[in-house]
Amino acid sequence: MSAIVSALTTSHLPASSTIPDPDRLAPEDAYYNARKRGSRDKDRSRSANGNGRRSKANYKKLLWFKQPFPDNYTDEATFLDHLQRNPRLQPYEFWSLMADSTVIVQHIASVAIFCCAFVGIYSKGVAPVSVVSWASFFTVLGWALWDYWVGQEEAEAAKTAALEEASAAIGYYPSGYHGPYVDSTSSLSPRNQQRLATAKSALLIYASLLGLSPILKSLTKSTTEDSIWAMSTWLLCINVAFFDYGGGTGAHLPASISTNSALMASTVLASRLPSTTHVFSLTLFSIEVFGLFPIFRRQLRTISWRGHLTLTIILVILACGGVFVTLTGGGRGAWIAGVILGGSATFVAMGGCCWWLIGLQKYKNEIHGPWDPARPVIRRRWD
Amino acid sequence: MPYNIAMISDNFFPQPGGVESHMYQLSSKLIDRGHKVIIITHAYTGRTGVRYLTNGLKVYHVPFFVIYRETTFPTVFSFFPIFRNIVIREQIEIVHGHASLSSLCHEAILHARTMGLRTVFTDHSLFGFADAASILTNKLLKFTLSDVDHVICVSHTCKENTVLRASLDPLMVSVIPNAVVAENFQPLSHTSSYTQHRRDAPGPPPRLGPHDTITIVVISRLFYNKGTDLLIAAIPRILASNPNVRFIIAGTGPKAIDLEQMIERNVLQDRVLLLGPVRHEEVRDVMVRGHIYLHPSLTEAFGTVIVEAASCGLYVVCTRVGGIPEVLPRHMTEFAKPEEDDIVTATNRAIAALRVGKVRTELFHNQVKQMYSWTDVAQRTERVYDGISGVLSHDEFYQGAGAGGGWSATRGRAGVQSFALIERLKRYYGCGIWAGKLFCLCVIVDYLLFVILEIFAPRSRIDIARNWPKKVFKDSKDKEVDGSKDTGIGRKRSARHRREQREDSS
Repeated sequence: MSAIVSALTTSHLPASSTIPDPDRLAPEDAYYNARKRGSRDKDRSRSANGNGRRSKANYKKLLWFKQPFPDNYTDEATFLDHLQRNPRLQPYEFWSLMADSTVIVQHIASVAIFCCAFVGIYSKGVAPVSVVSWASFFTVLGWALWDYWVGQEEAEAAKTAALEEASAAIGYYPSGYHGPYVDSTSSLSPRNQQRLATAKSALLIYASLLGLSPILKSLTKSTTEDSIWAMSTWLLCINVAFFDYGGGTGAHLPASISTNSALMASTVLASRLPSTTHVFSLTLFSIEVFGLFPIFRRQLRTISWRGHLTLTIILVILACGGVFVTLTGGGRGAWIAGVILGGSATFVAMGGCCWWLIGLQKYKNEIHGPWDPARPVIRRRWD
Repeated sequence: MPYNIAMISDNFFPQPGGVESHMYQLSSKLIDRGHKVIIITHAYTGRTGVRYLTNGLKVYHVPFFVIYRETTFPTVFSFFPIFRNIVIREQIEIVHGHASLSSLCHEAILHARTMGLRTVFTDHSLFGFADAASILTNKLLKFTLSDVDHVICVSHTCKENTVLRASLDPLMVSVIPNAVVAENFQPLSHTSSYTQHRRDAPGPPPRLGPHDTITIVVISRLFYNKGTDLLIAAIPRILASNPNVRFIIAGTGPKAIDLEQMIERNVLQDRVLLLGPVRHEEVRDVMVRGHIYLHPSLTEAFGTVIVEAASCGLYVVCTRVGGIPEVLPRHMTEFAKPEEDDIVTATNRAIAALRVGKVRTELFHNQVKQMYSWTDVAQRTERVYDGISGVLSHDEFYQGAGAGGGWSATRGRAGVQSFALIERLKRYYGCGIWAGKLFCLCVIVDYLLFVILEIFAPRSRIDIARNWPKKVFKDSKDKEVDGSKDTGIGRKRSARHRREQREDSS
């Protein structure tokens, strides 16, 4: 605490030589004025009154006995002595910030890829079935990988749980712990049961999309194109803004807002397409991009940093190239130019934002003290 | 020096609570000291118009739209006409607002400054700085307190908090604690003759044997910020390690269901007694059934309830949060960190101390009686009134801050002298880049409203209310306020009176 006090006073010493501005209303001014006035008061009472008893008498921050001080007395030694400023401040580092910002870049790139795919299908005659086939191929591949990782993780968790059980004799998980969708009576192993459930739900989504596509096709027939573009732009912006960039697994409320808005955008966009196959393909593609791909990305980030970086680079290349080709209508040359220009622009933007954030950090002024509600510490018991 | 004081807050009787009883007790003690006090609050269901309470305390229930938990809708200006009317009717000199979440109080302070009255604000609660709601509240508090004459806080922690929140000069913030009516919180064995004869040595204390039952009392609203989660976690462990201990829990709230579940899960129905909500006047009867008072709150500006418990002769176990460590001396309390383990240990320590007989709980009542009394609070509040209305000299009140003329923080900020609009605008302008300009706009509109009201509802057309007749005392000082003689005297006259009085006394 004393270190903070000294830091406070030294940081404001230059101001003391000049007359303090009466209109400055920062908290540190209040604190500083108190110190200064307190010391002045001490001097005065000693010199003018001649009795040093008043300043000698110890002032205590207590209410239950009457102290020989007026009620508005401010003791310079104890006033605000429990004040903490920025107690848990972690100065940002440039490269770690850059590394963290790849998550945002990934998401924006995948949104851009989706938009390019739509433009391609809508106006450039790209075959929707080929797009969705490639996407589905990669989705299945990704799912296999993800399944493998989850299997590994579960095995590890089971091992540590067993170890803990052996050492402490109290397991945090009961020994027969199963996932939420697992039927313990079935002959299949829980992992296979889960796989079966995933396959079932995938089939269900596929079938219902097939059924819904004709309805979706005529959904916005009576609406003009301008409002569709504006609406889908807004919805995709909402998707980017509310996306859950955090590391934890499991969906939160803002994340579901984000996914829903993206799916709505894709539905609205798909309804402008000419045939049922088009509609079906684009909707399935959007589910893969906005629903399943983020899960894979999150898992990949926790598993391997190198894989995460590779995926980021691939996505940036695809997105930049795709955007340039879509905008210019060119061929391979436009693609390469786009990758070079877009990639460097992305890198510069990332660096600029990180540098800006680090610069903003000096304005951080977090105040903690005894007035904050305490955080209760309760031991969790699983009984 | 009698003043005409208006206490303003959204919270007042018939709603129960700490602010409410604070206002009532302070007002009635100030009336006893010869002042005239009225209370302005909003209309409650079944409680409208003008009411008189005991001791001639007049309460105005202003009709206002209530939005949430008896707080009125904040319309910055709509309160002004009726407020001005009341202030002129009652010849108010000092406007004293209570509670930082009461919009009525903030509006009243703004309008009172526009009308050229002295203003005091009492803060009863603590706020953080982190979440959005706190930031908004703090900005509004800064708005009101930019131009207030003095602020009263109930504890030192509360003072620090308020100084930081509203960027105030610490010298214009006084710490005046709450108090308890000790007569209403007497221990069971307490008789007046007993204390008169043997005040110092009331014989050997009634020892609690190792097998006597110790009862722990908890009286609080069962909310998260009252630490009910800690209580729920701690009770089974305390009961498991101490076989002859019982709990009595009074109060209700959203966490009551968790508490009941805990009792059922651990089969503690015969050892934990849930009383449900109790009225404030029944609190004493509950308290005297126990030996230890457990207060696991997470935030507390003052914690009147632990003073009440100590006054009832209970040993207090409480968390070291907010202003609680300042309230009671060490020998009455056992402090704990706001952690489950520490609360269990502290309670066990308290039980052991009671069993050994180290704690002289039977002395607590008289000690508390000497520590806290509303008469004392009223006296100290009166000093604040003296200070802001210039009866106490500036140097004496602010202890030499800015002595010898020139610029002084208190004079510049608190505006002991200046009601000039331009001076006030300067103070509001410093509230923030955007907020400062917005606040200035509000103040200018308020001033225009004042001018319009002066033209269309002139003072001469507002009747002056007759004062509540009081007994005539021999003391000339008290004579001044009684009867209706004084009602015609304006502020100028009373200022002269004050000056004379000061010369007499000096």
